[in-house]
Amino acid sequence: MGPELIALVMFGLLLLGLFMGHPLAFVLGGTAVLGALIAGKPMVLGIVVNRIFGDVLSNFTLIAIPLFVLMAQFLSNSGVTDKMFESLRLLMSNVRGGLALAVVFISILLAATTGIIGASITVMGVMALGPMLRYGYSPTLTTGVIAASGCLGILIPPSIMLILMASYSPLSVGELFAGSMIPGVLLGLLYAAWVAIIARIRPDMAPSVEPDEKLPRGQLIRMLAIEAVPPLVLILGILGSLLAGIATATEASAIGAILALVIVVVRGRFTLPSFYQALLDTGKTSAMILFIVVGATAFTGVFNITGGLRATQELMRALDFAPWLLILVMMFIVFILGAFLDWTGIVLLSFPIFLPIVQEMEGISLLWFVCLMAVVLQTSFLTPPFGYALFYLRAIAPKEVKTSHIIMGVLPFIALIVGMALLMALFPGLVTWLPSVLYSSSASS
Amino acid sequence: MNTVIRALDAINEVVGRIVACLSIIFAFIILYDVIMRYAFNAPTRWAFDVTTQMYAFYFVMLGGYALKHQSHVRVDLITETFSDGLRRMVEIAGYVIFYFPFTYVFLTRSWEFAARSYAQGETTYGAVQLPVYPLKMAMTVAAGLLLLQGIVEVLKLVAGQYYWKDTSLVEEPHHGS
Amino acid sequence: QDSWTMTTTWPSSLELIETDKHFVDLANKLTGDELQIEFYEGGALVPAGEVFGAVESGTIQAGGDWPGYWAGRDAAFSPLATTPSLFNAVDYVNWIQQWGGAEIYDEIYGQFGMKYLPYGVTNNESGFRTNEPIRTLEDLQGKRIRVSGLEQGKLLEQLGGNQVSMAGGEIYQALERGVIDGGEFSTPNVDWSAGFQQVTSAWATPGWHQSASVFGVMINQQSWDALSPETQEKLQIAADATLLWSLAFTEKRATEAYAKFDEVVEITRYDDETLEKIQTMANDVIVETACENENSAKVYLSMVEYLGDYAQWRDASAPFNLGRTPNGPDVEALRECAPAE
Ligand code: NA
Ligand code: NA
Repeated sequence: MGPELIALVMFGLLLLGLFMGHPLAFVLGGTAVLGALIAGKPMVLGIVVNRIFGDVLSNFTLIAIPLFVLMAQFLSNSGVTDKMFESLRLLMSNVRGGLALAVVFISILLAATTGIIGASITVMGVMALGPMLRYGYSPTLTTGVIAASGCLGILIPPSIMLILMASYSPLSVGELFAGSMIPGVLLGLLYAAWVAIIARIRPDMAPSVEPDEKLPRGQLIRMLAIEAVPPLVLILGILGSLLAGIATATEASAIGAILALVIVVVRGRFTLPSFYQALLDTGKTSAMILFIVVGATAFTGVFNITGGLRATQELMRALDFAPWLLILVMMFIVFILGAFLDWTGIVLLSFPIFLPIVQEMEGISLLWFVCLMAVVLQTSFLTPPFGYALFYLRAIAPKEVKTSHIIMGVLPFIALIVGMALLMALFPGLVTWLPSVLYSSSASS
Repeated sequence: MNTVIRALDAINEVVGRIVACLSIIFAFIILYDVIMRYAFNAPTRWAFDVTTQMYAFYFVMLGGYALKHQSHVRVDLITETFSDGLRRMVEIAGYVIFYFPFTYVFLTRSWEFAARSYAQGETTYGAVQLPVYPLKMAMTVAAGLLLLQGIVEVLKLVAGQYYWKDTSLVEEPHHGS
Repeated sequence: QDSWTMTTTWPSSLELIETDKHFVDLANKLTGDELQIEFYEGGALVPAGEVFGAVESGTIQAGGDWPGYWAGRDAAFSPLATTPSLFNAVDYVNWIQQWGGAEIYDEIYGQFGMKYLPYGVTNNESGFRTNEPIRTLEDLQGKRIRVSGLEQGKLLEQLGGNQVSMAGGEIYQALERGVIDGGEFSTPNVDWSAGFQQVTSAWATPGWHQSASVFGVMINQQSWDALSPETQEKLQIAADATLLWSLAFTEKRATEAYAKFDEVVEITRYDDETLEKIQTMANDVIVETACENENSAKVYLSMVEYLGDYAQWRDASAPFNLGRTPNGPDVEALRECAPAE
């Protein structure tokens, strides 16, 4: 069987397994094993364990994953984030469509803390879904805003996805964080602008907040000072220490987890059962994420060694397109893959194929390309049928919210992401300016 | 059969409940190292290797525990529309086609991998030399725990204990990526 | 026709991979229909640290490497890869080709079921890259520096610094974040390709920690034995040709990179007295390490015997000689620790 056919069969098995509802991690791992057997090369299965040990177990940078999860779990299990959102929501109550705007802005901040989309979408959903529907926001706008802004966590630094991307590319975590900062925040602002426009032209979809819910100024300020400031200081402190070059992502994640615990204790919200529950939940979530990395590395290794990598590279090279057209094709592939695969899978599969080609292109900054891909990957959480954001939201939404509401809801945001990607293509400085200021000589390489 | 399921199920539950506590421990080790480095200019020689090995041990040993709690992300868009009987067949098929081939290869190859490292007395290289085989052994044990939990999950399906009907799983605090 | 799968420890972003590619191109041209080597960049099949295991177990047939990465399996891999303040590139070539070195590579790799063809040699590595300039040994006190290797780590610690071990791909970020105060990686051209000029402002020459380095290909013994003697000879010819090519290629590229570094970082040099002091300490570390591991002693003994043997003619031909005769470790001390012949 030729490498092209094996590659196709492997993608077919991947789809089959996903549609069968089997866990993604083991669909990837199982497809790796079946791929090797189908190719008639059971010998190559040795690389599965080589890769799992070398790429996942020995990878120091991945320590940040359980620690960022732990931080998020401490804050949300103890209700600290709930209170923070509530006080910020009341702060926004004077603005038309304020609740939806609050969701966007809180998501950007929360995004910056955790970088874990499941965490931000669930917390935002639990917090804002009920009130938004109660106050007459349309289910479409409600679910769209929550799903789309909840995903920003993976784009706005610190982000697990960017850390993983750095470890699979010649770029540093610092460069990637700096490069995606402006596009990430800008995308958040685009979401906000969209919400503001909808609130103005379709008041039925985003009505104003009732006056009786508003708090007196003094009470509001007190509430903000108590509930919102400490977690926000934690967020800014961690971001600051990363950007100032004081700490590595791993160090920042450890400090963040312990500071989160301190905030919980100081607030008097510490209980042994909720502390232990946070540890257990962190364990499950970390194992879930890292086993996807395990499955993806197994899949990628077998895909490469059975010739899939070479076949795809040759196909891409044979296209003989102008660089911009080739990049467009790559982004389209990412967009399509995003409908079926998780970001870890996409990064692990596409980086070895795309990056060498992009590195050979004259005048194309690799940093710009990777950040562009990070933005386009935002769609991978939102595009049906396989968008993780859709599933997380479905899991917590009440029955009257239809899956079709959620899908219709995310469509405008997918369009906004594509718009952002176009902006980055037209103005590469959106990506390269901040890194060139922070790392003065990086633009030269 | 239910007794067997409960007994086997307990293994990963116990492992998970113990191993899950490690995350806060390596958070504190990293914090200790950071403080020693920046406040006392006396970084530890061991923190880097020890935390890397602890992290690896931590997540890999929790794979079976996460499976027991149905925490591994899956796409049930289609299977949730199936009847219980059909869904059971499809779920079992998923284990047979994907799960068991992977965990079997993971277990047997890890074992060879660990045994070779042990026989060679492999260490990390540099002024601090830590043995490498314990982590490779742990990976083998973890693969065994995964395989075991997969068997338990299939037994549960055969016995008609459907995870999608299990309220204790649905009502758990949500966790995701 | 046989088909081999080969990878390397180097990702495509590092210039070290050029030596691997040069060998593969030559080998494929020479072996024609008999053998086709399919080469994958580092990381595409297995991560760098797992190349050894993948070749040893026969999962893949060949893997390009720097032997020092395997020193955790046998300390003797360290002198097969580099020396602290001892060999230069020509010493390695002489020793490998005419003073019994090649047999020693085969013997050490042979313990793990592998044949070894050395096919790359680079002369002196850059040295430490830092943000605070290192002008004297005093400036090394308390510094956390990424250095690879057992002997190198011991030597650094005796000089008052702390060794930090990390994979090549992690050095950049560690320097950028100040996790380490300095680091070394490879020759100037490779260091430039890794981007160290972006995260350091000073560079201390010469690289006494690695006076020269060897690269090559590990071949699964069964795969090697399955080849005809003619094909084996062709691979040997490709390796020998690449060995010479790599020396000139790296020196040219290092020269170009030095000029680029000179524009953006402050380059300092240790004085001769300091280098002599380091030489004495390096000799002690070599003897100490050799006496902890018989294979290591055997390798060092062979290398130091070569130096002694070659010294008379090399010194007589001065100033037209090929490098210096180092005032190296005590050959008798090494002989005591080496296994009896
Ligand atoms: Na983030
Ligand atoms: Na080096």
